[in-house]
Amino acid sequence: MITLVVALAVGAALFGIGLYGALSQTNLVMIMMGVEVMLGGAMVNLVAFWRFLHPEVFSGQMFVLVVMTVMALEMAVGFGIGTSRFRSVGSVEMEEARELKG
Amino acid sequence: MTVAALAILGPLAVAAAILLLRRGAAALAVTGSSLGLLAAGFTLARVAGGARYEATLPGLPEFPLRLVADPLTATLSTVVAVVGALVMLYAVGYMGEEHDKPRFYAGMSFFVAAMQALVLAGDWVLLLGAWELIGLSSYLLIGFWYEREGVASAATRAFLYTRTADLGLYAGIFVLVTQAGTTEISETLQTGGAAALVAGLLLLVAAASKSAQTPLSGWLQDAMAGPTPVSALLHSATLVAAGAILMIRTSPLLPQGVLLVAGLLGGITILVSGLTAVAESDLKRLLAASTSSQYGFMLLAVGAGSPVAAALHLAAHATIKSSLFLGAGIFQHARGSTGFDDLGGVGRDRRLVFYGFVISGLALAGVPPLSGFFSKDAIIAASFDSPYAALFGPLALAGTLLTGAYVARAVRLLWRGEGRSESVSGARWMGAALAALVALAATLGLALGPLASLLASELPEGLLGAALGLLAGLAGLALGWFVPAGRLLGPAREVVGRGFRIGGGFDGLVARPALALGRAADTFDRGIHAVAIAVGQGTMDVALALRITDERGIDGLIAALVRGTRNLGGRARGLQSGLVHKELVLAVVGGAAILVFAAAAALGA
Repeated sequence: MITLVVALAVGAALFGIGLYGALSQTNLVMIMMGVEVMLGGAMVNLVAFWRFLHPEVFSGQMFVLVVMTVMALEMAVGFGIGTSRFRSVGSVEMEEARELKG
Repeated sequence: MTVAALAILGPLAVAAAILLLRRGAAALAVTGSSLGLLAAGFTLARVAGGARYEATLPGLPEFPLRLVADPLTATLSTVVAVVGALVMLYAVGYMGEEHDKPRFYAGMSFFVAAMQALVLAGDWVLLLGAWELIGLSSYLLIGFWYEREGVASAATRAFLYTRTADLGLYAGIFVLVTQAGTTEISETLQTGGAAALVAGLLLLVAAASKSAQTPLSGWLQDAMAGPTPVSALLHSATLVAAGAILMIRTSPLLPQGVLLVAGLLGGITILVSGLTAVAESDLKRLLAASTSSQYGFMLLAVGAGSPVAAALHLAAHATIKSSLFLGAGIFQHARGSTGFDDLGGVGRDRRLVFYGFVISGLALAGVPPLSGFFSKDAIIAASFDSPYAALFGPLALAGTLLTGAYVARAVRLLWRGEGRSESVSGARWMGAALAALVALAATLGLALGPLASLLASELPEGLLGAALGLLAGLAGLALGWFVPAGRLLGPAREVVGRGFRIGGGFDGLVARPALALGRAADTFDRGIHAVAIAVGQGTMDVALALRITDERGIDGLIAALVRGTRNLGGRARGLQSGLVHKELVLAVVGGAAILVFAAAAALGA
């Protein structure tokens, strides 16, 4: 039987793994994958709260849909940047991208 | 009193009318002065009949203007009016071919009006005003030919001389009025004691400069630069007479000390100016010196305690001197000059004028039965009667001698010698006025007795004085006729001829020390100026230093602030590595911190 705690634990685990991935990787694609995993964790949380606490309202589902839309947009923008950078520099290694240095 | 006031208002209104209309100036002026003469004569007749007039006109608050017609003022007013009217008549001929006649006639009429106001004034304020007005109008008239060389400076000189000494009048009046508490002349004359002494001396200074007494006489001869009618008026009845009139009218006030000073001043002037006249080489300047000498006689009479003798000599001298000047003016027109070098023999060319001149000259020298004999006799007798007879008597006799000498010299120089005379236009007008004045000069002696009794006083008489005076006059005439001036004065002639310029004259005694004083003051002033500049400069330097430190301080503060901010900015910049994962770490740390704070806040709540 899956309980709220289990679901939250899975969400937290996902979030932590994603965070680690986003912080530890230097490749743009890998970082974005980490961010996706973090968002996935957040969505698990949202679904768990909806399912176990307020199954009668739809706002939880709506939040998840919004987050999924945001994920898709993020992917589009992120990969757009990655593609253009790869075309101009030939690499998506973020350690080499220091143009934003203040 | 209205009639008496007409003596002032007639000429005054005419002066205004001339300035407004700017035509018919001569006719208007003659009408105005004739009107004044009628008014003055009528007033004198009424006063002689025992009437006394006084009028108070509204003037300044607390200072009403008073007019007085008593025997003395009425007599003097008549003298002024007679001379004024006849000189105006003469001017019709004399000024016939001049330009700018309205200015001349307006000035002359104004001059007569101001003098009438001065004579008839019963109040110091009015007298002072009139005194200033005659000074002003004499300045304007002496400078009438202002475009000629030296005329403007002569007018300025006359004005400044008389004006400077007017301070005496102001101060004297101030003393009198503060002592008496009123500005009415007759009441202030009751003042006694030290105030009377001080005021008397101050008034004497003013009178001495107006009447050209010795130390202050230089301006009078320069004043000859004006037209001859102006000289005639100025010397006989107006400007110069004002000084003597002031002394005559204030004589009740004067204590013995002032009388002695006045008499001595007059006596010295008689001698100095008489000698100057003997040495002069110009007819008008000779007459000018003689005027100053004759006013010396009047001051001598006042000093000797006989103002009546002075007043009568004033009247007699007015007719004599104006007729002499009128004659001189005709000679001047005939020869175009007044120097004796140019006038030689002019008497033979214009005999009638010359005879008139001689009659007036003899009257001046005191030959009986002409008017000068009586008035001068009275003065000689008065000076022998006075407490200072030993001093005044010889002075008067010496003056009479000198008078005879210069009259005879002038007559001789006019008669002898050669020259070519031109015809004189307007001679008829000039001749008529001259004849009338000569007739007056000759016959006024008969009227002096009645006039003296009208003035409530007896003329001083003395057989000894009369005899001595006559002898001195005749001796002087003989001396002047037979002995040339060069031999008469010997080596002193040079000095005398230049108007007693001993030690550089006025120039050396007054002007140069004054200039030196001025220069010393200037140097001193420059020193003070330099010190002031230095102090200012020092203050400026201190201020500049303060400003610099101020600016440095503030600038430094601002620079330090900027440096600090930049430093801080540099450090903050270090955070911006540009590395994505570092940024991410920062974001995570920031997010975690926010979460922790939010959780703490939620738990705390």
